[in-house]
Amino acid sequence: MKYPEIDKYAELDSLIHRFDPRAKIITFTLLIFSFVFIEDIRIAFVSLLFSSFILLVSRIPFGFIFNRMKPGLIFVMPFLIVMPFALDGNVLYSYNGISISYDGLYYGSLVVIRAATSIMLTLIMLGTTKMDTTMKSLHSLKVPSPFVQTLMFSYRYIFVFIDEFLSMWTSMKAKGFKVKANKHSLSIIGNLVGMILVRSYERAERVYHSMASKGYTGESRTIVKFKMQTADYGLAAILIGTVLIFIIYGMSLS
Amino acid sequence: MKTAISITDLNYSYPDGTKALDNVNIEVEQGEKIVIMGPNGAGKTTLFLHLNGVIRAEQDNVKIFGNNIGSMKTEDRIREVGVVFAEPDDQLFMSTVYDDIAFGPLNMGLSEEEVDRRVKKALATVGLEGFEDKVPHHMSFGQKKKAALAAVLSMEPRVLVLDEPTANLDPKSRADLIRVINDLNKNHGITTVIAMHDINALSELADRVYVLNRSIVAEGPTRDIFSDHVLVKENNLDAPDIFKFFKIMKCFGGDCDQTPMSIDESVKELTQAIEALEGKMSLHIHESTHEMVNDVISSYRH
Repeated sequence: MKYPEIDKYAELDSLIHRFDPRAKIITFTLLIFSFVFIEDIRIAFVSLLFSSFILLVSRIPFGFIFNRMKPGLIFVMPFLIVMPFALDGNVLYSYNGISISYDGLYYGSLVVIRAATSIMLTLIMLGTTKMDTTMKSLHSLKVPSPFVQTLMFSYRYIFVFIDEFLSMWTSMKAKGFKVKANKHSLSIIGNLVGMILVRSYERAERVYHSMASKGYTGESRTIVKFKMQTADYGLAAILIGTVLIFIIYGMSLS
Repeated sequence: MKTAISITDLNYSYPDGTKALDNVNIEVEQGEKIVIMGPNGAGKTTLFLHLNGVIRAEQDNVKIFGNNIGSMKTEDRIREVGVVFAEPDDQLFMSTVYDDIAFGPLNMGLSEEEVDRRVKKALATVGLEGFEDKVPHHMSFGQKKKAALAAVLSMEPRVLVLDEPTANLDPKSRADLIRVINDLNKNHGITTVIAMHDINALSELADRVYVLNRSIVAEGPTRDIFSDHVLVKENNLDAPDIFKFFKIMKCFGGDCDQTPMSIDESVKELTQAIEALEGKMSLHIHESTHEMVNDVISSYRH
């Protein structure tokens, strides 16, 4: 079974992989926030190039990141298609009363570039650290425990649900079920989703029993062994410096 | 010898009013190996949840080494009784095997060094050394079962409760797990309480059997329980194949002192019986042999 593992390449060795996970979360979050507020398309393009450079340094295959970027990009692509027609401004091209505006194209492209940059950085951040280490880093960064625990259990049980879904799907196919665009197929798929919900509810109860049996009282306790090295401070300084350069340059243009 | 588990008149009803446990009485000595058998839905899991205090009994009727489990502090009750549930995916809820095994000891408030020592020891006990960083979805079912057991062993409980430990395991993993459980019982003095349907593993894992069907229907040594074919049938149970085979052999004149419950026992019993007959055992068919064989077969057939 091929699982949608985000940390498939977390075992590689690179500057980004070796970067302290807590510092990585902080600096990458700063990078993402500074990049999504860029107003100038040229700077936004440079930020996309910069993110691609980080991806290159991280040695994660570009195809792996691009495949995971696709759903996000499909979500923002309508901006690029709709905004040139919807936004007023300098007309680039006009035909039978339908015009494409320069401003619409500009802002549509800006939204897509910003989105691509932030998704890419998020994927590099998550892809260069094992998921359990990311969770522990969030815990040690004092991110509220219910949030970290929800993330942790979601990630753990996604794979169990995939297995459950696939075994039910195989069993349906074994009984001759074929997906068709009709009411019957829809109701069967509805039943399948309902069944998975019921099963997850029951599983949640069993998992809770098992946790309570091991003394769980709602508090998350874990062993965290992180230590910032000189190289981590250096890389963090470079990345934060980059954030500042982007902000200052952006402000000087506006 | 100390009494490890003492349950007196335990009753429990589900929120919808269905009675799950009805006047259950169980007494287990320290170091004993107990198997609880019964049909599906007999209340075994509910009973186990009472044993480690996850479900608190209304009266003080569940006592572990003389103390009421319901009024113990969390750290103390998980030190006394460890429960390994049937489905390993329900018990391996952390991202790595290490974190799962460290979960209980961390909740006990132990130091990081002690937690680390316990994790390594528990992994070595179940034969999963080097699995610390493994993620559960990359492990086989057998490995997950062992990891779930290790996650309870790391709390070093005095009583180990296992729900269907051998279910769905391949023969090698099944044999490994039985060996581990027996080693814990024999060499570490851990009292084991096991719920299972795997009748062919019974003789290795049980000194005594309780038959639970909402209330305790019967209790006694394994052989006594399975000799009562009415009890076996009424509670959806079955006797081990080797036990039934020797019952049939008796119809042909091959009698042993005790009907064996396992292959090992059958070797011992047969040797003794043949030696007593000066090295020769003769089997024969007489008038009523077929009738007797049919009786034996039908008495255990569902």
